[in-house]
Amino acid sequence: MMKKRMLVAAITSLFAMGAQAADINKVLRVAFNVPETGFDPAKVSDTYSSAIIENVFDPLVSYDYLARPAKVIPNTTVALPAVSADGRVYTFKLKPGIYFAQDAAFKGQKRELTAADYAYAIKRHLDPTINSPWSFLVDGRFVGADALVKAAGKGALNYDSPVEGIKALDKYTLQLTLTEGNYNFLQILAMPAFGAVAREAIEAYASNTNAKPVGTGPYTLKEWKPGSKIVLEANPNFRKMVINGQTLPKVGRVEVSIIEEEQPLWLAFINKQLDISGIPQAALQEALAIDPKNPLNVKLQPKYAKQGIQLERKKDLEITYQFFNMQDPVVGGDAKEKIALRRAIAMAFPRSETIAAIRRGQAVPVNYVIPEGVAGHNPAFKGAVKYDPAAANALLDRFGYKVGVDGLRTLPDGKPLSIEMATGTSGIDKQWNEYWQQAFDSLKIRLTFKYGKWNELNKANRQNKLQMWGLAWGADYPDGENFMQLLYGKNAGDANSASFRHAEYDRLFEASLKLQDGAERNRLYDAMNKIVVAQQPWIFGDTRIRSSLAHSYVKNFKLHPLLNTTWRYIDIQK
Amino acid sequence: MFAYILRRLWQMVPTLFGVMLLLFILFHWVGGDPSYILAGKSFSAETLANIRHQLGLDQSLPAQFLIFARQVLTLDFGISWSTQQPVAEILASRIGPSLTLALPMLLVSLLLSVIIAAIVAYVRGSLTDRIVTLICTLAMSVSALVYIIAGQYWLAHKLGWFPILGWSDSLATNLWRYIPLPLLLGLVVSLAPDIRFYRSCFIEEMGHDYVRTARAKGLSERAIMLKHVMRNALIPVVTSLMMSLPYLFLGALLLERFFGIPGMGNEVLNAVDRSDFPVIKAITIYVALATMLFNLLADIVYKLIDPRVQLK
Repeated sequence: MMKKRMLVAAITSLFAMGAQAADINKVLRVAFNVPETGFDPAKVSDTYSSAIIENVFDPLVSYDYLARPAKVIPNTTVALPAVSADGRVYTFKLKPGIYFAQDAAFKGQKRELTAADYAYAIKRHLDPTINSPWSFLVDGRFVGADALVKAAGKGALNYDSPVEGIKALDKYTLQLTLTEGNYNFLQILAMPAFGAVAREAIEAYASNTNAKPVGTGPYTLKEWKPGSKIVLEANPNFRKMVINGQTLPKVGRVEVSIIEEEQPLWLAFINKQLDISGIPQAALQEALAIDPKNPLNVKLQPKYAKQGIQLERKKDLEITYQFFNMQDPVVGGDAKEKIALRRAIAMAFPRSETIAAIRRGQAVPVNYVIPEGVAGHNPAFKGAVKYDPAAANALLDRFGYKVGVDGLRTLPDGKPLSIEMATGTSGIDKQWNEYWQQAFDSLKIRLTFKYGKWNELNKANRQNKLQMWGLAWGADYPDGENFMQLLYGKNAGDANSASFRHAEYDRLFEASLKLQDGAERNRLYDAMNKIVVAQQPWIFGDTRIRSSLAHSYVKNFKLHPLLNTTWRYIDIQK
Repeated sequence: MFAYILRRLWQMVPTLFGVMLLLFILFHWVGGDPSYILAGKSFSAETLANIRHQLGLDQSLPAQFLIFARQVLTLDFGISWSTQQPVAEILASRIGPSLTLALPMLLVSLLLSVIIAAIVAYVRGSLTDRIVTLICTLAMSVSALVYIIAGQYWLAHKLGWFPILGWSDSLATNLWRYIPLPLLLGLVVSLAPDIRFYRSCFIEEMGHDYVRTARAKGLSERAIMLKHVMRNALIPVVTSLMMSLPYLFLGALLLERFFGIPGMGNEVLNAVDRSDFPVIKAITIYVALATMLFNLLADIVYKLIDPRVQLK
């Protein structure tokens, strides 16, 4: 009888453990080099906070860890959604039996994930009191949502008010109806920001949702010391997730340290205080043997290779660019002499030198608004102008930018020509500024710098007070639309930092929104890129290539182009 | 003395008001607009206006200053604009690590520098004095950053005597494992200027008439140094100590950043970087209050050290 009771107890405890495979004694130690801000999916957008959110919350769909190029797969749904022919209606069927992590907000009950949780999570991005940094992805997107937002004014959204476009048809069925057809919407929904939240948890921790993330993901937040340390522990309620015969997650605890300085970050990794790390800029040559003839051909330095350290590299889904304020009377406008001025500046900038010197060869030039790895990219399109200071000077001469008695060029009307470039104050900004100074000196154009913090420069740009500034844009989702919208007229002053307004570009962009990824849409993208090349609102920069390292005992180490982290797949075998 | 203390406390009110006014003007002038940070990638006018409304930045400046005054009176600075965590919680979690490093550093540095300064002052002009002065001058010529980078690289990485960085919830672990290297480097940075300063204080005192009189009375050099010179030389030492105490709250920025110590130094930097005014306000007000209180304490200690000092 006793034996039978023990057996029952053992079986019961096994079931109580659920699908938990993680070994709590296995600890993965990683670092962020920038502090996080919080873990409410509707309140934060920085990469580091999103990395934690990705592990605590579950979006409807996610990415296949192994497939390249990145492929959207069901996450908490039984299959990819049924999409109406016009791309407007998405119907998702959730897997039953997925539970939120245990939390006091659920008053001791197991809380199952339902379609209503996703509806609530999406609506939160529309709530005027939350000010979601992702609101640009949902504003005007859902049928009936605008009226709800308008009714809220500056107050909270009425979440109980039905919205035609965001509807839980039953416990497990979610239907999203868009105002216009959209074929990349699944990629938006795969973002960590659209993970399911439980309304009762959000309401229970309303004053501090950033510190109390409660989700259905593989990990829960165990400890948070803002800007210093984040500890995740495997979620015992996490559903059974098996990849290649391995139940995930493997590691029971993830410890994230915030290490902002390069030297301690690097030394902590090579002294095995960290298991995985990126390579700081200053340590690139120490860590990697870079082929001088082809800097993209790199391997680990022998002393690290001998230790079994693993190297993984990925080309970021990003572009960097220097924009001209197209509304500025000196550098903006579509008059030929203005285009010539912008073109000449682009031609005088030694991009290959900056890639070699500042990026240590770990970047590739941008030639198209959409970077490689993002749907719509055209590798054959060479949009960047050729580096040729002599031709740039000739171009300026031709359009009347004469050299005055002081040795500097004037505007065609004889007025002084001086251009101000916005810049940050970091060491790396100073390095870039030296190259810009060199480019402007070669053109005999006076250059001044406007120094400021990022938010102040952004504000100045919105107020039309900047002439030039360098920015980067990383993919929110891997579709060309996310990049081509950076020059869409209606986004001027917002994502369109250059305030570029071009009727034909806008017409083509709007037409492209109605098309799925494919040859027809690519033709429109090519035409839009030709406009960008002709008008030169941007000087194309580069796309960085990141190298990450892991010690020999870290298993399943593989970077993903879109997932911020791959912690749930990693195993530690010391 | 009680009347003096009361008067000094009362005088702190206008000083604090001045600090508040200056801080308020500076933040609104050059502090940056946090709404552009909180907006993420979405800079629509509507989003920015909503954020400014929620932060109270759309209220008139006098109304915002009144809110600030109320916060100072209640010492409740609300929540961080950046992380939305209560400011009191943030500061409470940061002050411990900062003091764990800064307090031993201050005490050990004070003790060592006073002793070394007294010795070299006593043997003024000797080879020892010259060597110590030369080492101090050389040590002061090198940036603190160099000591930290070199110390971490050689002592922790190459020789493996210390961990590269780290912090624990256990005070004992921190004191035994994580504090020694930053403490050592902090001492190296602070000892040289302190020794030089205190040495000149001692030398100045040793040149006074009362020292000659003491010698003429036949007192031993040991008694002269410890009983007479030390006591008088302590006045500038106390001044220097009291001036540095409020800054303990600010932590040792570089040491904290390089050694992963979750102290105030990093918090100050992040708050400024993110235009997080509630955190900036709280730290500034606390440091201002601490400065005034330690100044008052210094005056009282002067009186205790030297009865000739009159508190008026």
